[in-house]
Amino acid sequence: MNPHAMLVSTLSLLLGTTITISSNHWVMAWTGLEINTLAIIPFISEPHHPRAIEATVKYFLVQATASPLLLFSSMSNAWATGQWDITQLTHPTSCILLTIAISMKLGLVPFHFWFPEVLQGSSMTTALLLSTALKLPPITILLMTSHSLNPTLLTIMAISSAALGGWMGLNQTQIRKILAFSSISHMGWMVVIIIYNPNLTLLTFYLYTLMTTTVFLTLSTTKTLKLTTMMTSWTKTPMLTATLMMTLLSLAGLPPLTGFLPKWLIIQELTKREMTLTATIMAMLSLLGLFFYLRLAYYSTITLPPNTTNHMKQWHTNKTTSTPVAILTSLATLLLPLSPMILTTL
Amino acid sequence: MALTTTLLSSAYLRGRCYRHKVLHPLLGPLLSDSVSKSYSSYRRPGSQPEKKMSWQDIDFSFKKGFDVLKTQLSMLKKETKDYLVGPGGHRLDQYLLEQTKVVWEFRSQEDLNKWVISSDVEIGGKSEVYLQLGRNNQAALLYGTLNTEVPRDGETQYSGYCSMRAKPPMGSFFRKKYYDWSNFNSLYLRVRGDGRPWMINIYTDPYFSHQKDDLYNYFMFTRGGPYWEEIKIPFSKFFLSSRGRIQDDQHPIWLDKVSTLGFTIGDKVDGPFQLEIDFIGLLNDRAHTEEFAYEMYEKNPRV
Repeated sequence: MNPHAMLVSTLSLLLGTTITISSNHWVMAWTGLEINTLAIIPFISEPHHPRAIEATVKYFLVQATASPLLLFSSMSNAWATGQWDITQLTHPTSCILLTIAISMKLGLVPFHFWFPEVLQGSSMTTALLLSTALKLPPITILLMTSHSLNPTLLTIMAISSAALGGWMGLNQTQIRKILAFSSISHMGWMVVIIIYNPNLTLLTFYLYTLMTTTVFLTLSTTKTLKLTTMMTSWTKTPMLTATLMMTLLSLAGLPPLTGFLPKWLIIQELTKREMTLTATIMAMLSLLGLFFYLRLAYYSTITLPPNTTNHMKQWHTNKTTSTPVAILTSLATLLLPLSPMILTTL
Repeated sequence: MALTTTLLSSAYLRGRCYRHKVLHPLLGPLLSDSVSKSYSSYRRPGSQPEKKMSWQDIDFSFKKGFDVLKTQLSMLKKETKDYLVGPGGHRLDQYLLEQTKVVWEFRSQEDLNKWVISSDVEIGGKSEVYLQLGRNNQAALLYGTLNTEVPRDGETQYSGYCSMRAKPPMGSFFRKKYYDWSNFNSLYLRVRGDGRPWMINIYTDPYFSHQKDDLYNYFMFTRGGPYWEEIKIPFSKFFLSSRGRIQDDQHPIWLDKVSTLGFTIGDKVDGPFQLEIDFIGLLNDRAHTEEFAYEMYEKNPRV
């Protein structure tokens, strides 16, 4: 991309995120979200491939629908209550509209249909931005307004997201779509606890960002876009493939890896709130994700395929060691013993 | 290219058929599983519109509706069972390890019904095309006569094409499904032609309508003669065209969402043609490492 365009887009992304997470007024929050939407569009459409353009248009349409819904929700609340403070969203219609708008932004069920397609059409780095950085502003808004939202609705959406994220991820063969469904599932976990303990949502988000960034950067290093390429990447980067397996299992929530921490704390919190059925259902649904991650790990790392790669891009893996990937991998797999420290700082 | 200049309109690229019988106008020929000839909902601009209203064709019968519902539910059940097995109904290890796959083969009338034939008759031309099973039900025989005589309507400049196109895969309740060919890098065809060149078109059915004419094309040069040919065409060779015009901005085909495959003949030579196709398959050629055959240069370089 033209360096000037890249600079403007990157700065706009940072600006939009900062505006939203530091805002108290609804219009500022909406402004930040809009800036983010517009700034990521050059990134998604940069390859100019017809599928990339399709992903860009889908992303834009969904976000452009969600933003006015958010604005309308804040306007109807302002009409009813006379103030624009984000934390004082009291009008019931506004709450429902906001829930819908934020679910569209985050990719929560039943507004998740765009997410796998958009991720599949973007490059690896852009997909990383879409999964992590662009989820921060909507999560922040959800955190600030969670006390006013309907708990039943949020719980139903969360359980459906965990279910659908696990179920739809089962037979995917394209890595970006697998990570999209993993993201949907994690969003479900984040939203199920947001009303009862918002700090846990934030913790889940941070750990999810950490693990997802690790996976995306690893896959970007090995230039892996689909399962068959992942199968043969051990010949080029055996250690990175092994650590990728550990990171994927961490993403699945397997103890004693980092990803287990948010799931454990959420189940504990739900049980404390007498929501044992919800906790049980969420735990069972995470097994679906675990199944396909284990299958991925099995076929990519534990078994060796009878062929080497003929994927030309993998022949030129020039970044054999990458410090950020190493640091992130260590954090994404080994953070569980630090949980007492994390708990005290929550 | 000679062949590309004869590509005329999006109706042709759609693979719509002969104009006589009108099937369900909403579904069109590609979505029915009836005989692979005849049906078309394309009305040539300038011709008289049909007098009968489209809703008068619908058969409001409870029994038929119930049968359709039963069929769709059984398809849904089968799809769910296949989903539990693995991608595409096969186990994941089979998906990961397979190097060849037969997608279409021609052994019975049912296999022929998965294809739709069309020719320039829909724009007023005189070419003929027929599809039938070959000897011993071992191949499909696509034959006919190409006639490049231009229809005298004052607007058409070229004519003379015939084509055969696969119907897109349909899931239960008439949902669109796609083929996932991302594991493979070549198309493998066992054909016996008559020396005429064919064009192979792959349609990846995009989501938005502004890309609906996008087609990936490449050529298949057949030998005449009594021997069968096995033609391997790498997917890296396919170039992008839209409404018959090769695009300046070329991109390799993404094989994770392929909808249909088609064969077209339009080499501006009047006369009979014949193509026998035994099967159409996919191959993961381990020796083929080319990602994309066409280099892209900056079209408007800054000076």
